[in-house]
Amino acid sequence: MSALPTSLPVMAPVPAQGLWHRIRSDRLLMMWLVLAIVIVLLALLAPWIAPHDPYATAMRVSRKPPMWMSDEGVTYWLGTDVQGRDMLSRVLYGLRATLMISLLAVFVGSGLGAIMGVLAAYYGKARGPIMRVADILLSFPAILFGLSLSALMGPGLGSLIIALSVSAIPGMIRVSYSAALGVTKLDYMEAGRSIGFSDAYLIARYLLPNCSSMLLIYTTLQLGHTILLASLLSFLGLGPLPPFAELGSMAADGRKFLEVFPHISTIPTLTIFVVVLVINLLGDSLRDAFDPRLRK
Amino acid sequence: MAKHLLNRLLVSFPVLLGVILVGFVLIQIAPADPAAVIGGASATQADLVMIREQLGLDRPLWYQFALYLWRLLHLDLGRSMISNQYVLDEIMTTVGPTVELMFASVIWSVPLAIFLGTVAAYRRGKLVDRLVMVLSVCGVSLPVFWVGMLLIQYIGGWGWLPYLGRSGPLWSVDGFLGIILPAITLGSVLVGPGARITRTAVIETLSSDYVRTARAKGAGELRILVRHALRNAWMPIVTLVGLQIGNLLGGAVVTEQIFSWPGVGRMAVGAIFSGDFPLAQGAILITAVGFLLINVLIDILYVYIDPRSHRQ
Repeated sequence: MSALPTSLPVMAPVPAQGLWHRIRSDRLLMMWLVLAIVIVLLALLAPWIAPHDPYATAMRVSRKPPMWMSDEGVTYWLGTDVQGRDMLSRVLYGLRATLMISLLAVFVGSGLGAIMGVLAAYYGKARGPIMRVADILLSFPAILFGLSLSALMGPGLGSLIIALSVSAIPGMIRVSYSAALGVTKLDYMEAGRSIGFSDAYLIARYLLPNCSSMLLIYTTLQLGHTILLASLLSFLGLGPLPPFAELGSMAADGRKFLEVFPHISTIPTLTIFVVVLVINLLGDSLRDAFDPRLRK
Repeated sequence: MAKHLLNRLLVSFPVLLGVILVGFVLIQIAPADPAAVIGGASATQADLVMIREQLGLDRPLWYQFALYLWRLLHLDLGRSMISNQYVLDEIMTTVGPTVELMFASVIWSVPLAIFLGTVAAYRRGKLVDRLVMVLSVCGVSLPVFWVGMLLIQYIGGWGWLPYLGRSGPLWSVDGFLGIILPAITLGSVLVGPGARITRTAVIETLSSDYVRTARAKGAGELRILVRHALRNAWMPIVTLVGLQIGNLLGGAVVTEQIFSWPGVGRMAVGAIFSGDFPLAQGAILITAVGFLLINVLIDILYVYIDPRSHRQ
């Protein structure tokens, strides 16, 4: 479940332009990328492709099995849940919610982490305090964040996103620090400094773009981790409140009917597994393609 | 060693302070008047004033915080708003089951992970290696609750093993049977990452000079693997397994929920949902303290694994 890099490789700067070229030449990587894009598209297009309203309850059609176990035709492809809501539509909407929550959290958390890491690498004086912050955050387990925030603010979308964002920060600080440190020592940084470029310009124009692919790879790995964490917390009820369709809480919904109607919780859980698996495989392939240690 | 431990404590201190602050705020925002809860229905106004005075509720906030810290130092976590029992008493009944569950999960999953990782490293690039790697990436992507639900559905549901609650200590027959499914569930969190970490670490030691020397001297393959490669791979393995403890904790909360295991995590979640702020505060505090203790234990473990860190 961990995407946290702990033994940090010396990362060679990879210009972003080289990224696409290398992705294209790696067939396995390409496959995972296409699958990931399909998943994102399914989530984005959920309101248009979902066959039913995910919130429309209909007790007379409740707990219908999926089509391959049913002889009633294909009104509900994946069956219905306890309240007669269409599973397929709910899974699509749930996927949308889970992905959006996790992407937002990873975006905020990794963004903050990246800024701090790059600053720590660029300004030697900032290194100590920023790395200490990373250490502290790293020793604070995500589940404690989730529980504390839910206790303080009440369970809900807000506390879930904050908890996920904070847990994404420390790993990113370390990765972006080690990625940026390699770049700061390169000649063109020194050259830029001697021409008289400002620090902000140097960081934005040269430092960040040259470690962007490393950051992208790590963000991918972190995303898989965050999705799992999000579904875990919302499985516990610490996420968005019902009837909001979210994969983790849907899995928890069907738990009581596991022995009789296993599809109600198995389908959302399987979706989480597949999504996280694809993202992890994508992240692994990206890392294999770019980690200089593994390439030799 | 001392320096390492000191550093760990320094890093842990803000965490502890953060959790204590959370706990204090939780007590503050509790909607019910603690004095009324303690006094009960028959308390008169004068009683309430007296209780408030006793608890320091009429004093300024900083004083209350200092008082809160003072009480914590004396292990006084207040009373539950629902059962009116002492929070510490209630929580202490849940610590045992949680520790038991974690122990039972680690005891099978870490050796299995190390075995799988070592075999994969030794047969690097072969079929076994590929299988272990596929298994491990699946394990890393698996939601814990799915493992639990599958076990309940197929093993518990068919009446092969109990899956609801805890029916006795680990060493009794019922207790042992009852912990099997939860322990498999929670342990599964560690197998994937553990195998991966071990594999990387052993691959590195296998390509080292001392392994080549051992081979040149005619040591058997098993001896090389266990005595030389694995032994030197212990450090990164322990470090990374230590980093998994956060995940183990998260997994424990979910596992307890699924199997109705009477542990700290289940109590924390229950307290949050029933709005029992003092109990939630206590459960979160205890979890944080437990987490820090395990980390310190791991740091001590280093010394036994790597005598070099002791000598320095």
